Amino acid sequence: MKELIEELKVKIIEALNLEEVRPEDIDENASLFGDGLGLDSIDALELIVMMERNYGIKLKDPAQGKEIFKSITVMADYIQKNRTK
Amino acid sequence: MRIKKWLSFSPDSLSLNGETLGVVGGGVEMLHELYRRKVGDYPKFFKMDMLGKLGFVASELLLQSEDAPRFVPREDRSVVFCNRSASLVADRRYQETISDADNYYPSPALFVYTLPNIVTGEIAIRNKYYGETSFVVLEKFDPEQIAMHVAAAFQDPVCQSQLVGWTECSDESHWQCLMLLVEREGELDRHGLAATLERMFTSL
Amino acid sequence: MGDDAMIVKLSDHILSPLGDGTEANYMAVREGRSALKRYSGKWHVPEPFVASLFDEEAFAAESSALHLESYTPFEQVLVRTIRAALENAHVDAASSKVVFVFSTTKGNVCLLDEHVSGFPQERVLLGVSARKVCAHFGNPNPPVVVSNACISGLCAQIEAMRLLEGGFYDYAVVAGADMQSQFIVSGFQSFKALSDEPCRPFDAARKGLNLGEAAACIVYARREKAQPEEWVACRGAIRNDANHISGPSREGEGSYRALKAVLAGFDAGELAFVNAHGTATAYNDEMESVAITRAGLAEVPVNGLKGHFGHTMGAAGVLETILSMRAVDDRCVLGTKGFEHCGVSHPLRLTAQHQSTDKRAFVKLLSGFGGCNAALLFAKGGGLCV
Repeated sequence: MKELIEELKVKIIEALNLEEVRPEDIDENASLFGDGLGLDSIDALELIVMMERNYGIKLKDPAQGKEIFKSITVMADYIQKNRTK
Repeated sequence: MRIKKWLSFSPDSLSLNGETLGVVGGGVEMLHELYRRKVGDYPKFFKMDMLGKLGFVASELLLQSEDAPRFVPREDRSVVFCNRSASLVADRRYQETISDADNYYPSPALFVYTLPNIVTGEIAIRNKYYGETSFVVLEKFDPEQIAMHVAAAFQDPVCQSQLVGWTECSDESHWQCLMLLVEREGELDRHGLAATLERMFTSL
Repeated sequence: MGDDAMIVKLSDHILSPLGDGTEANYMAVREGRSALKRYSGKWHVPEPFVASLFDEEAFAAESSALHLESYTPFEQVLVRTIRAALENAHVDAASSKVVFVFSTTKGNVCLLDEHVSGFPQERVLLGVSARKVCAHFGNPNPPVVVSNACISGLCAQIEAMRLLEGGFYDYAVVAGADMQSQFIVSGFQSFKALSDEPCRPFDAARKGLNLGEAAACIVYARREKAQPEEWVACRGAIRNDANHISGPSREGEGSYRALKAVLAGFDAGELAFVNAHGTATAYNDEMESVAITRAGLAEVPVNGLKGHFGHTMGAAGVLETILSMRAVDDRCVLGTKGFEHCGVSHPLRLTAQHQSTDKRAFVKLLSGFGGCNAALLFAKGGGLCV
């Protein structure tokens, strides 16, 4: 789980072009949207693509993302349970 | 009309209101370096496509040189850009995400930039400009045609000034950028504006 | 608007999967027909989608009969709609007094796909492609291509009005078109913006938009006066939300400001309707309900036409303007196909059924990515637009 969390931090920085953020800057329990990393609706859609490409998880309804992308820990937990690759 | 501020920018040179500014590196790295040195407080910059980064950095430099308070909501300023290649650089990058059936992951963050007018929206958001934003594509750089378009855009009675841009970007290492802050009131007619554009373009 | 200039419509034409010609399209809409169909596996798009597309075989046969093989499909629809519109305009398109203003969002983008061949890569450039179309009509002037996302069709009309009012030209041929492709469908799918069933503008159960193919053309002239039965493009405005590049402003800021600008000094009671963008995405329709209400138009009928044609992108602003004019000529407020139960926070005067009207003016509204919004006021006879 710890490993997956660290991996996710790197992948999120890369997928969302968070050029000035380092993995150690991200608190895995903090909210991804809103103030934290300042992510927006396009980032949420890009995270959906990232989940599909890296972990074979297809989200049919983007509204599901709201729950899953609460924090990196929540995301990692979801990925662990649902990944197909 | 009156030209209040002006900027010209190519991979080889950058000049603001007639003064040469130093540039470092090449390609998109040059834009990143300029952003870090001259702007620095808008991380969304790194999410933009090449056209967006070019237009954003150029507009920042130009507007920083305007003797006016920034980020005050206003409707009387338009952002009127044009070029030849539209969003071709972003179009090609997006096409790569869908062309291989075994590696088909269309990217929304790339797709949104396959509209050339996004750069005008980015600048409106940054500066709280509620005025007109528009993007037109021309067959080639044609100063008379651009000047006509600018003169025509002043027919909106609310518009008192325009951020005018020729933001051409054919790949990640080649661009031509002319940007002018043009005010409604002034002696300059559209032929004068065209002559200035022509001079600036020739010296790029 | 200049004191002594009126921008008068001389002729128009629509080419869509619902028909060839304004009348054919209008009758199809009146009869409640829609060209939206479900496609599976088309263009190797993995997920099925619903769209309004030309029938490929019939389309190719028609273009071949007109000897248009050297033109891309995007250019073919432009040539065909412009040619038909010019037939009724009595304007010499080869004159230097005529300017061509094009509206498209993605033009020949399909040429980037390596499976598409037969045309020079250079034609992916909108200016080059537009010049090819101009050359077909012998027009000598540099074309203007407006590429302002989904509001392009209104921006092109506004650009034409300005070029005519400014005295730069005497006539303007405004043509909007977009053809669908894997590029566009996959992009909208990645945005989770497409509905997997025919779209339902402003409805509580709306699930997103459908894409559509079409071309439409209006020929405008600058005149001192308009005849009572002639359509006049009165006043247009383009405004930005200054909020987000893909999500519309919750307050409908840009649309509200554009509406306010075009309706300044105008009695909203004279409007037959507001023809909304009405894409049937959750956020767009909600935003428009806010903007229309803020602009004091809650009592004016509102309709949307995407249930018949889908979202025809660069063509939408021109096509929906033409059908709105035709509807007013017919004293009709067209119903909104797909609408049943109001699903926006500010209830608008929307109906599924057509209604009658004796008003002679309307507003066309559009909004798009990049936070852009446009409104354009039209009136018959022009007496209303001062």
